[in-house]
Amino acid sequence: MRTAAVDWRLAAPLGIVYLALFAAPLLLLLGISLHSDQDLQQWGVDNWVKFWSDAFYRGVVWDTLRLGLAAVLATSLFAWPLAVFFCASSARTQKILLFIILLPLLTSVVIRTFAWIVILAREGLINQAVLALGLSATPLRLLQTETGLILALMQIEMPLMLLPLISVMRGLDPNLLDASRALGAGHWRSFFRVILPLSLPGWIAGATLVFASACTAFISQSVIGGARLVYLPSLIWQQAMVVYDWPFAAVCSVTLLFTVLAGVMMLNWLGRYARTD
Amino acid sequence: MASRRLFLAGMAGALAAPSIARASGSMTAAIYPGTWDEAYREIVAPLLRQRHNVGVSFDPLFAVDQVAKVRAARGVSPFDCFVLDPGPAAAARQAGLFEPIDRRLISNAAKLPDGMLTADAATVNVQVVGICYNPKKFPEPPKSWTDLFRSPYVERLGLTGFQTTFGTVSLIEMAKAFGGSVDNIEPIFAKLREALPKVAAVATPAALPGLFQQGQIDIMYTNTNNAATLKARGVDIAFIAPTEGAITFATTLHIVKGAENKANAHRYIDVALSAEAQSKLQLSPYNMIPVNKDVQLTPNLDIKSLDELSKMVTHDWSVINPRRAAWIDRFNREITK
Repeated sequence: MRTAAVDWRLAAPLGIVYLALFAAPLLLLLGISLHSDQDLQQWGVDNWVKFWSDAFYRGVVWDTLRLGLAAVLATSLFAWPLAVFFCASSARTQKILLFIILLPLLTSVVIRTFAWIVILAREGLINQAVLALGLSATPLRLLQTETGLILALMQIEMPLMLLPLISVMRGLDPNLLDASRALGAGHWRSFFRVILPLSLPGWIAGATLVFASACTAFISQSVIGGARLVYLPSLIWQQAMVVYDWPFAAVCSVTLLFTVLAGVMMLNWLGRYARTD
Repeated sequence: MASRRLFLAGMAGALAAPSIARASGSMTAAIYPGTWDEAYREIVAPLLRQRHNVGVSFDPLFAVDQVAKVRAARGVSPFDCFVLDPGPAAAARQAGLFEPIDRRLISNAAKLPDGMLTADAATVNVQVVGICYNPKKFPEPPKSWTDLFRSPYVERLGLTGFQTTFGTVSLIEMAKAFGGSVDNIEPIFAKLREALPKVAAVATPAALPGLFQQGQIDIMYTNTNNAATLKARGVDIAFIAPTEGAITFATTLHIVKGAENKANAHRYIDVALSAEAQSKLQLSPYNMIPVNKDVQLTPNLDIKSLDELSKMVTHDWSVINPRRAAWIDRFNREITK
C-alpha cells in the first residue's frame, strides 16, 4: 500500500512534464485543426471534410503508409541475412560489423540523403557503372522515383532494423539450431521454422522504428523523391510554411500522427499474437 | 524549505536574464537561417557594434515563421526587425505588423535608387531571376521562357513550383510568355502537363542546386545568388536574362510594430544599407546584389549596374498572395505521379 503511493509520487514529475510538453501541444494541434478559417476565429470541421472528401489527399495518406511498408519490407529482406551472418561470426568480426552497421547513424540524415543524390543521379555512381558495363545505352532514371527513394531509405533506416534484430538473435540458444539440424531440417527450413519465429520480437521492434521513421522522413522524401511524389510530411510543411493554412496543416499532421500510430499498433498487436502462438 | 527558496530564486534569475540582455545598446533582429544568418553575423553585427556600440542578437527564422511569431505574440514584439521577401512582406503589411521607418534616421537614404526606402520598408538586397544553364552542354543557350519547353532544352530542365518567391514569379512570367497573365495562369499549367514526361526533374527548390551540380539537370530558372554560389564551387553554370526580361524582387527590412528598440532598429537598418556592409555582402559566398549606389559591383553578380534593375520585371504580391494557395494546390495535383 505504502510502496504504491511512493511509486505514484516518483512518477509524477515526469508525468507532469509529459502532460505539459507532449499532451498539451497535441491538444493544441487538434484544436487548430478544428477551425475553419486561417485566422483561427471560427470553429468547424471544414478542413477535416476537405481533406478526407478529396481523393488526392486520401491518395497522399495511402502513399505515405505504403512508403513506410515498402521500407520495412526492403530493410527486412537484407537485415535478416545480415543478422544471421552477424551471429555466426567471430567476436572480432562482430565488432567490425557492428561498427559498419552503426556508421550511418554517425552522419546526419541530411548528409546521407545528399550522398544518395551522388549515387543515384544521372551521372552518378550507379549510372556510370551501368553505362560502363553496357547494361543500358541511356542513363537509368533513379533519382525522383519511388524505387530510388526506397533504396535510399533502406540504407538510411537499416540500423533501426538491424540493432533490435541482432540483440534478440544473439540471445537465442545456439543449441536450438543444432537440434533443428539433428532432426533433419535443412538450412532454409531451420531459418524459417526456428530462427524467424524466435527473432520475431526483434523484427517487430525494428519494423516499428523503420515504419514510423520512413513515413515521416521529410528530408529524404523531398530531396530524393522530388516534387512529383507528395507525402504527408511535405504536404504539412507546404501548408504550414508556404500557404500559411494552419488548420489544414494541423489536419494533415493529426492524420499523419494517427495513421502512423495505427500502423505501429498493428505491429504491436502482431507481436503479442506472435508470442502467444 | 531552503532548497525551495533557492529554486525559486534561480527561476526568478532565469526569467530576469533576457531583460538584462536587452538593456540599452542592444536589439534583436530576425534573420533567415543559413547564408543570411552567417553574412549578417559576420558583416553587419560587427559594424553596428563599432559605429553605434549596439549589440544585435539574431533570431534565425524563415519569413513565414517571423510573421507567425509576431502575430502569435499579439503586440509584445519578440524581435525588433523583420527581414522579408515580397510575399510575406505584403501579408505582414496587410496584417498591420510594421512600424513606420523614419527616413531622417537613415543616413544612407539618399544613396539608394528611387523607391527602395518606403514608409515601412527598406530594401536591403535585390534578387534577379532568370535562366541558368550549363554552357558546356549547351553552347547555344535557351533564350526565352518559351525556349525552356522546347527540345533539346526541356529534356534537361529542372522544374520547381510555387513554393518559393523565385519559382512563383518565374512561372507567372512563363504563363505570360505563353499568352496568360496573373489572372490567367492556365497556359503555364497546360505547358507543364505537356512537359512533365520529358523534363529531367521536378524538384523541391532546395534540391535544385545539388541536382544541377550532379548533372541530373542542366537548365533551371533561379536567382543569380544560386548561380554565383555554384560557380564558386567550380560548377559549369551561366546565367542568362530571358528575352522577356529578367525578374527582380527585393528583400526588405522592416521595424516590427511595437518594437522595444526602435532607435537601434533604425541604426541596424542604416548599417545594413551602408556602402561598407553592402560591398562585403556582395562577395562570395554571400553574393547579395547591393542597393547602395556607392558600391562598385563585382563581376560575379551577373548585373552591370543598378540602373538595369529599373528595366526588369516586377510583381505586385498583394495580387499574388491570395491566388498562390490555389496554384500550389493545383501544382501538387497535376504533377503528382
